[in-house]
Amino acid sequence: MKYIIAESVDDVLRAFSENDGKAMVLAGGTDLVLDAESGKKSSDAWIDIMRIPELKEIKTEDNKIVIGSAVTLTEIARSELIKKYYPSLCKGAGTVGSLQIRNAATLTGNIVSAQPAADAAMALAPLDPEIVVVSNEGERILNMEEMYSGFGKSAIDSTRELVKEVRIHIPAENEKASFIRLELRKSLSLPMLNAAARARVENGVIKEIMINMAPVGVGPKRARAAEEFLLGKELNEENATEAGKLALKDANPRSNPLRGSKEYREETLPVIIERAVADIGVQLGLL
Amino acid sequence: MSEILKCIINDEEIEALVDPDMRLVDFLRERMQLTGTKIGCKKGECGACTIIMDGKAVNSCMVPVMRASGSVIQTIEGVEKNGRLHIIQEEFINKGAIQCGFCTPGMIMSSKALLDKNPSPTSDEVKEALGGNICRCTGYRKIEEAVLSAAKRLREEV
Ligand code: FES
Ligand code: FES
Repeated sequence: MKYIIAESVDDVLRAFSENDGKAMVLAGGTDLVLDAESGKKSSDAWIDIMRIPELKEIKTEDNKIVIGSAVTLTEIARSELIKKYYPSLCKGAGTVGSLQIRNAATLTGNIVSAQPAADAAMALAPLDPEIVVVSNEGERILNMEEMYSGFGKSAIDSTRELVKEVRIHIPAENEKASFIRLELRKSLSLPMLNAAARARVENGVIKEIMINMAPVGVGPKRARAAEEFLLGKELNEENATEAGKLALKDANPRSNPLRGSKEYREETLPVIIERAVADIGVQLGLL
Repeated sequence: MSEILKCIINDEEIEALVDPDMRLVDFLRERMQLTGTKIGCKKGECGACTIIMDGKAVNSCMVPVMRASGSVIQTIEGVEKNGRLHIIQEEFINKGAIQCGFCTPGMIMSSKALLDKNPSPTSDEVKEALGGNICRCTGYRKIEEAVLSAAKRLREEV
């Protein structure tokens, strides 16, 4: 195997064409290194992107927060800039694995490895990010749902495409986001369930809302029935509870021997969703 | 195919021909004979293989060896200086934070990465730093006590 240390996005694109589908992008490596060993993923070369200066930045640009794909989860969890606008994203990023893992792993990797309940990807989902993907064919921008092509499957072909950055709009004054996790223990455990939401509220009334939940399908699933119900309604306890119940309409949780049966998850999901919605109310001083 | 790895390990410049398939933990243990770094799970789930790479605690079992290129690495062997144990190591002994000792190198490296940056950690910060290190023997209270008391001694020494 060959190991290519890329120093620019151009280096990555060159490596793609020189190796023609046989060289794979390596970010934090906390999933890929294990998948390579188990034979789940194989390639003739790795393209290490963690030293590309332009991918290592968290910045604001054109009224958007831009997170480069070589930024680690620890850097996101501790970023003052992100904390100011979306503390829920810091929380989600700060929950993945353990500190050692977060010191290596990236937000983009958390999306591309396509595990349905990845905490950082989940906290990001309702922020409706633009995900910028570059290849030798040019640049394209995907939304969160377009990043997943099936159960545990990414829409990104990491032998031909590089996720360059994630862009998130800066929230309005009356717009907040939340992230909630049901867990067995704090460190080194995947969540039994997680959920995240974002809402813009005017005079107590919900004007815009997005709710995601997992693992109840492919990737961070939208709770559309709950969203529709809440739109135009007052943000209060009662409506948050009702939204929690409605979330089941879009959820199809499976049983997992370690992280909860289908029945258990169906009982607890409404509570998690209710909390995710109510937390926004608390942040806005409405609850 | 082999590639050339250049890095600094425990203050020593290293140049070696490596197979990029190798993980850093195996390079440290098998090529450098630095067997103080342990392998528990080789999956990122136990922290026994924790080392400090460019100032940060990482699981060396998940680091492809070539990622260490140009990096500054510290392992447990580099923590003791001039035959004297580091204060963190002394406090682990003083507080009885060691039983079988298998998790200890990883615990010490996680603690050192924390204290190098944050001389006055709160109990929650210690827990965050050690959350990725599993101990099957002692329970975690003594370990936390050891880190907090090492922090105190290190502050007093300056
Ligand atoms: S051996 Fe590396 S985390 Fe367990
Ligand atoms: S002392 Fe035995 S595992 Fe920690």
